[in-house]
Amino acid sequence: MRIIVCMKQVPDPEGPRESFVVNNEEMRVVPQGIPPVLSLFDENALEAALRIKDKNPQDVKVSILSIGKRVSNAVMFKALAAGADELIKVEDSQFMTSRLDSFATATILAKAIENAGDFDLILVGRQAADWNAGQVGIILSGILNIPCVTLAQGVDVNGSTLTVERVLSNGIETVRTHLPAIVMVSNEIGELRYPAMKERREAKKKPVTEWNISDIGLSRIPPARIKLKRLFTPEMAAGNCLYLTDTTLEDAGRKLALLLKADGMI
Amino acid sequence: MSEYSTSVLVYIETEENHEIKDVSLEAIASGKRLVQLSKGKLIALVCGKNISQTVDELKYYDIDTLYFADSPDLEIYQPEHYLPIVLDVYEKEKPTGIIFGNTMVAIDLAPRVALKLDTGLVADCVAIDMESDEFVFTKPVYSSNVMAVYEFQAMPFIVTCRTRSCPPAEKKDQVSGEMIELKIEKDTDANQIEFIERKLNETNGLPLSRANIIVAGGRGMGGKEGFDYLNKLCTALGAALGASRPPCDLDWVPAKAQVGLTGEVVAPSLYIAVGISGSFQHLAGMSDSGKIVAINRDPKANIFKVADYGIVGEFEEVLPGFLKQLNAFN
Ligand SMILES: Cc1cc2nc3c(=O)[nH]c(=O)nc-3n(C[C@H](O)[C@H](O)[C@H](O)COP(=O)(O)OP(=O)(O)OC[C@H]3O[C@@H](n4cnc5c(N)ncnc54)[C@H](O)[C@@H]3O)c2cc1C
Ligand SMILES: Nc1ncnc2c1ncn2[C@@H]1O[C@H](COP(=O)(O)O)[C@@H](O)[C@H]1O
Repeated sequence: MRIIVCMKQVPDPEGPRESFVVNNEEMRVVPQGIPPVLSLFDENALEAALRIKDKNPQDVKVSILSIGKRVSNAVMFKALAAGADELIKVEDSQFMTSRLDSFATATILAKAIENAGDFDLILVGRQAADWNAGQVGIILSGILNIPCVTLAQGVDVNGSTLTVERVLSNGIETVRTHLPAIVMVSNEIGELRYPAMKERREAKKKPVTEWNISDIGLSRIPPARIKLKRLFTPEMAAGNCLYLTDTTLEDAGRKLALLLKADGMI
Repeated sequence: MSEYSTSVLVYIETEENHEIKDVSLEAIASGKRLVQLSKGKLIALVCGKNISQTVDELKYYDIDTLYFADSPDLEIYQPEHYLPIVLDVYEKEKPTGIIFGNTMVAIDLAPRVALKLDTGLVADCVAIDMESDEFVFTKPVYSSNVMAVYEFQAMPFIVTCRTRSCPPAEKKDQVSGEMIELKIEKDTDANQIEFIERKLNETNGLPLSRANIIVAGGRGMGGKEGFDYLNKLCTALGAALGASRPPCDLDWVPAKAQVGLTGEVVAPSLYIAVGISGSFQHLAGMSDSGKIVAINRDPKANIFKVADYGIVGEFEEVLPGFLKQLNAFN
């Protein structure tokens, strides 16, 4: 069984505001002083794949697929060390964020998947941690004409049957479909495992395939459906905090209750 | 042909008790504003089982044409049932755009609609405006550090709106508009997803969206014991318990307590944040609250930037005084 996990490299989403610099000429956000990382939900997707592999290590192969202007081996190394078997990157100087909406991205991913050979299951993240579009999984399923289950917090494969637990706002539901399929994974599934020393050493020897846009049989970037008009930095709240600085913290707590009472809040 | 040049379709969802979701009332308001700008027609669609009460209620919201589908098959959301209904209304009305609230259902449904209609989608939109006769859509990106303004290259436009990105539509005294009931047909698409079962949480405690006061804890609570303390505060205040993401991921609290970008968007009159640093992903879910209290040991924590009252210190030392005083009131 082959599982393809689509993973995107993004500037660390936890970085401070100053590190996201708007460049409106190139219509992009230039990260400054923050490292690229694996997009958060894609780590959850990889964990879901590895749990399927845990049950049948000999029979399951996990491939990482990432596209971008430049995909850093160092960032993707984390995925290989955690247990993925190979990395496929598609890099091209034309892959600018301003031109890659979810449709264009999914079209490129589909082409790459076609070139990557057989697969049974494709896992994607709930949304990329930079643009939060949340659509690649469903569009990809349309192109490949296979089912897509969204918002997964549990993924289980039995023969050609795929069982998924889905996150609801007030609980969970179980749905079933057949392979091949796409599953869009949510964080409720749990964090990506931490690799041991031995796995880190072995990861360096794992195969890496590097393609560009023509290697996957595309001559140009597919047209986008939505177009970025401009980017701007939102204004921060004024910051009118009244600090309660009493002699003891217990007194400050008491004072807080009194203030809220006086405000009619409680 | 209709007398309108343009129209906008709003997809409406209900709570389990058949009340119209707040985010849907906000979507109606957005739709109303757009059709006023373009002198167009406001269309709405609501689906479910036993929704006659909801349909009656919706008559008071100044919707030109309300489509509804009421069937036992629609008791729970399943794409194979719901998607054809949306596409059917699209075919009948050919609206310029479709507006959804950004809900768990819309996360699944809106991209499927966009895919079928060969168009794009702007998800989690916070503003829709008109610029030189074009609709433009603003959404926060890069952890809300940047705002992106989009226009569509394909039609219709499809958006999901973030909760509380605009005031809800107001109920009118009089009913208006026409109503059309839809027959439902099951999608015979081969890529079916079979529904097996649903396990709903016991609804103990106040839901976050309805709470006047929310007491929320973060990673700084250190574990379940920290949250036991916050639960005591909730009881004393009649508040609901919220959390940032780490306590949910670490299983200290149920996932439904999460407030933020990928959790609930709330605006209670009072939000008390304890041991929460104030990441933009968290602020995206609570910064519109009436009054915000921050208790954090780090004076530089971002949460103080949106707070009205702040206490810098260990929560273990602050909360006992707070609770004692609260109990003295009761
Ligand atoms: C795409 C994406 C979506 C996300 N969605 C959400 C979301 O919906 N909601 C959300 O909350 N997060 C979300 N996050 C995660 C977010 O980026 C932050 O990681 C998270 O909000 C941090 O939670 P925290 O403030 O509890 O933890 P931390 O940032 O670790 O902060 C803990 C705080 O506790 C304080 N503290 C520690 N001990 C004490 C003590 N004894 N007394 C008082 N204070 C103490 C510390 O000073 C610190 O400020 C998302 C991230 C991404 C990338
Ligand atoms: N450039 C990319 N390379 C690999 N996977 C991607 C890329 N962009 C998006 N994806 C996948 O699609 C998911 C959803 O992305 P999006 O629809 O852009 O929010 C991500 O979580 C990834 O799994």
